[in-house]
Amino acid sequence: MKLNKRYLRSIRANLPFYISASVLTMVTLLMFYLFYIAGVGINRYGDEFFSKYNVEDAAFSTFAEIPDEDIARLEKDYGLTLEKEHFAGVEEENFRVRVFSPNKKIDLYELQSGREPISDDEIIISAGYAEENNVQIGDKYLIHGRQYSVAGTFLRPDYLYMVENLSDDYKNVTTFFLAYMTPEEFENQFGSGSINNKVVYSEAADEAGFRREINEKYFMSDYLSADNNMRITFVHEQADMFVMSSWFILVTFPLLTVALVCILLGRRIRAEQKLIGTLSAMGYEKKKLMRHYSVYAVIPGICGGVLTSVAALLLAKPFGSLGLADYEPMKPRFTLPVWVAVAGVVIPTLIYYIAAMLRVRKLLKEDTVKLLAGQIGNNHRSRRVLSHKKASVKSKFALRQLIGNPGRSFVIFLGIFLGAMIVAFAFSFIDSVKAVGEQAHDEFGSFKYEYILNFLKNGAPEDGEAVLVLPYEDKKSRRFSLMGLDSDASLWNLTTVDGQPADIERGFYISTLCEAIYDIHKGDDFTFRNIATLEEYTVKIDGVIKNGYQSYLISSRKNAADLSGLEKDAYNAVLADRALDYSSEEITEIISDTTYKTQMENMMTAMGALISALMIIGMIVCIAALYAMIDTILSENSHNISMLKVLGLENGRINSMIISSNHILLIPGVVLGIASAYAVMAWYCKEFVEVEHIMIPATLYPKSILYTAIITVLSYVISLLLLRRKVDKMDMIEALKDDRE
Amino acid sequence: MFINVVNAKKQYGTGEAAVYALDNVNFSLDKGKICVILGPSGSGKSTLLNMLGGLDSLDSGYIEVDGRKITGLSKKALTEYRKKSIGFVFQFYNLIPDLTVEENVQVVEETAQNPLSIDEILKALDIEKYRYRFPKELSGGQQQRVAIARAMVKNPDLLLCDELTGALDTKSSRMVLKFIEQLNREYKTTILIITHNEAIAELADTVVRIKDGKIASVVENAKKSTADEIKL
Repeated sequence: MKLNKRYLRSIRANLPFYISASVLTMVTLLMFYLFYIAGVGINRYGDEFFSKYNVEDAAFSTFAEIPDEDIARLEKDYGLTLEKEHFAGVEEENFRVRVFSPNKKIDLYELQSGREPISDDEIIISAGYAEENNVQIGDKYLIHGRQYSVAGTFLRPDYLYMVENLSDDYKNVTTFFLAYMTPEEFENQFGSGSINNKVVYSEAADEAGFRREINEKYFMSDYLSADNNMRITFVHEQADMFVMSSWFILVTFPLLTVALVCILLGRRIRAEQKLIGTLSAMGYEKKKLMRHYSVYAVIPGICGGVLTSVAALLLAKPFGSLGLADYEPMKPRFTLPVWVAVAGVVIPTLIYYIAAMLRVRKLLKEDTVKLLAGQIGNNHRSRRVLSHKKASVKSKFALRQLIGNPGRSFVIFLGIFLGAMIVAFAFSFIDSVKAVGEQAHDEFGSFKYEYILNFLKNGAPEDGEAVLVLPYEDKKSRRFSLMGLDSDASLWNLTTVDGQPADIERGFYISTLCEAIYDIHKGDDFTFRNIATLEEYTVKIDGVIKNGYQSYLISSRKNAADLSGLEKDAYNAVLADRALDYSSEEITEIISDTTYKTQMENMMTAMGALISALMIIGMIVCIAALYAMIDTILSENSHNISMLKVLGLENGRINSMIISSNHILLIPGVVLGIASAYAVMAWYCKEFVEVEHIMIPATLYPKSILYTAIITVLSYVISLLLLRRKVDKMDMIEALKDDRE
Repeated sequence: MFINVVNAKKQYGTGEAAVYALDNVNFSLDKGKICVILGPSGSGKSTLLNMLGGLDSLDSGYIEVDGRKITGLSKKALTEYRKKSIGFVFQFYNLIPDLTVEENVQVVEETAQNPLSIDEILKALDIEKYRYRFPKELSGGQQQRVAIARAMVKNPDLLLCDELTGALDTKSSRMVLKFIEQLNREYKTTILIITHNEAIAELADTVVRIKDGKIASVVENAKKSTADEIKL
């Protein structure tokens, strides 16, 4: 068809549209691709690593050590693999290290660099700490009075997310690391050290029977299934969040973008109505015309899709690495599945193709005479707005342009909305994490320090307030803490969400996090079990205490002790409003009023690059969408612009007359974009509860709202500046020759 | 001399496809006169009008209007020139469809330095009763009168009319031409009309015939006819 010779010329003439439509398609699809690639890559790596290095199904400790000779029998009787892990915690001046004797069956390590420790003065250390602190092979560390040389770095499957204590909410690779030394050296230094038992169940294993026997014979002191161990679960949970985010992104941003490009395509085709009418009058078949115009529509789909695939291949590794910021330095393969790459090209292309076909089909149903006169789509009922009112022509024209072209106004609104939404979401993420750091401790109470002791005590501590904290689990093996406090305790928050003081002597209360995770509310019965004996208990919940960061059931110390079969005045933690003088042997963990803030600050540092990338994407989407639409507006108004130029109006005045009407769309676009971002963040935070076991309050500070508005307006201005010369370049004579309205 | 065109040349295309739209054109016109430029399609008359209106530039030669050389002026200066001195009327009106009759005229009036009264102009052109109508709601003749009103409201020194009756029936054409006569008489506006309609030449003080980009003849009308007298 000779008509096809127009392709190159027409594309060249409408290059800004094709570029911006392709960029829009690319940027939004890329967001999906990158999140998807990161999530799938991390998940695959986790599966392979866990399987290869035999990650534990559970870890437990007992008051009596399990004799070595019992292990083979237990393994045989219950269909499982069991290993005793020997370790020791050492606190030095600038760091804390957990030293292990290498395991042989479960939670094996993988060497990342260097070599195994051969001599007694060599260690290998966890790779995350080494990377964070730029530790080189051969560096020396003084541990437990002896100097060791770093021979290599490693990863192990139960520490891919390096939290020092399981109550921590964020990793610590700045002052905490793991280390292996030769078994002989470990024994020399620490004897048998502390023991943590690791177990892997086979499919036919009798887990309940095993746990009962362990408790009966060796007195279980703690049992932590891998499902409750965030050092392990975080790998899949964060990866699943990436995958979930990618699907969320797919059904919002690319969908909106595709809709936006389809509207733009429709308008471009409508602008060709005179030619379509002419060709139709000349006898061109409907099918041929539909095919001809659909090819134009295919361009942004193919270009955008191919660019996305190329960009995804190039960016998969660096972007995936941003997603790995929280983990130990894992090395997943970030690959773009062929079906995703093909779908990324085919789906938008197909949608654009169909949209163009339908548009041409609709046009061809119109009266050819009207097409030839270019009258389709010119029935602006809104023209009468302000026609009898005294107002400047500029204002009248602007208002009529705005409400007389709802499709056009919608696309501009959508561009502003999408940009503002993405940028505000990025800010909201930062603010919400900040809010955790700033508000968390207020929800805990007014204590400055919480000391978790290594052992049970009775009576009352010399200083501070006694707390009994014991791990329990629900029927689905999800852990929480049973807490017991004295009724006159003042350092722990005991005010219910109703604003009433909790009567812990008479009842049981849960935290808001516990309420969210277990879906148990005031007045409900809560059934849970002892992690050692698996004995079940049911209590009625008398109220909920606001605490979105800790999952606990709280009552009096006596009630908690009764449930656990302990002395009524037992305690194993102390709350204090000042630092107390406990030795490191006496305590397993200290939580201070700045712990959460520090953890959240570390989290933000790690995620900063990801958030910045999101903001840049938001700006690009905003600029590209607005650029494409404003370019379309200028093209559609070329006759008016030419005439105004002929009449002697300056370019600035013409620009402001044609485009200024859209400025008003900034207000709803930004407002709704911000509101939607907040709603999405609230949804995201809700999903986060299951994954991270923390209730992040969806937050957007006024400063962030202001920054979002500024960035969006800036993007809008940039798109206008990019088009500034278009009015200047518009040929007055050519455009006027064409006008036959 | 109000208009002075000297050795004006303009070529479109290159090589074998080159066409001289204006080929060494020279002519002049006094202030307050009506000049009709006659010629067949493609003769270069629209090109000459575009040059006089500052819409396009010459390859060589120059044009002076009211003693000011407009050839070589910057884009900004040309915009200012059009804004202050030039009124345009086109064959297909080129009204802004989203604006009413009054607003189409106001667009120019708002930027003019010494505008005429819109009411006066609309009354003079007998379109006052249509002031709140949109272009689509008017006949061709009425739209052309709106276009004239828009061109005249700035009280231009020079009114350039490109085939102003080309799209109109005889009755409407005569009415439009009567208004052109009236404007020339009342406001002393210099008017240049390009057309291929020989009859309109009888209205002119000066008739310029142009063919293949060259001036074929310049004739001063000894006896002008009125719009009512000419045979359209």
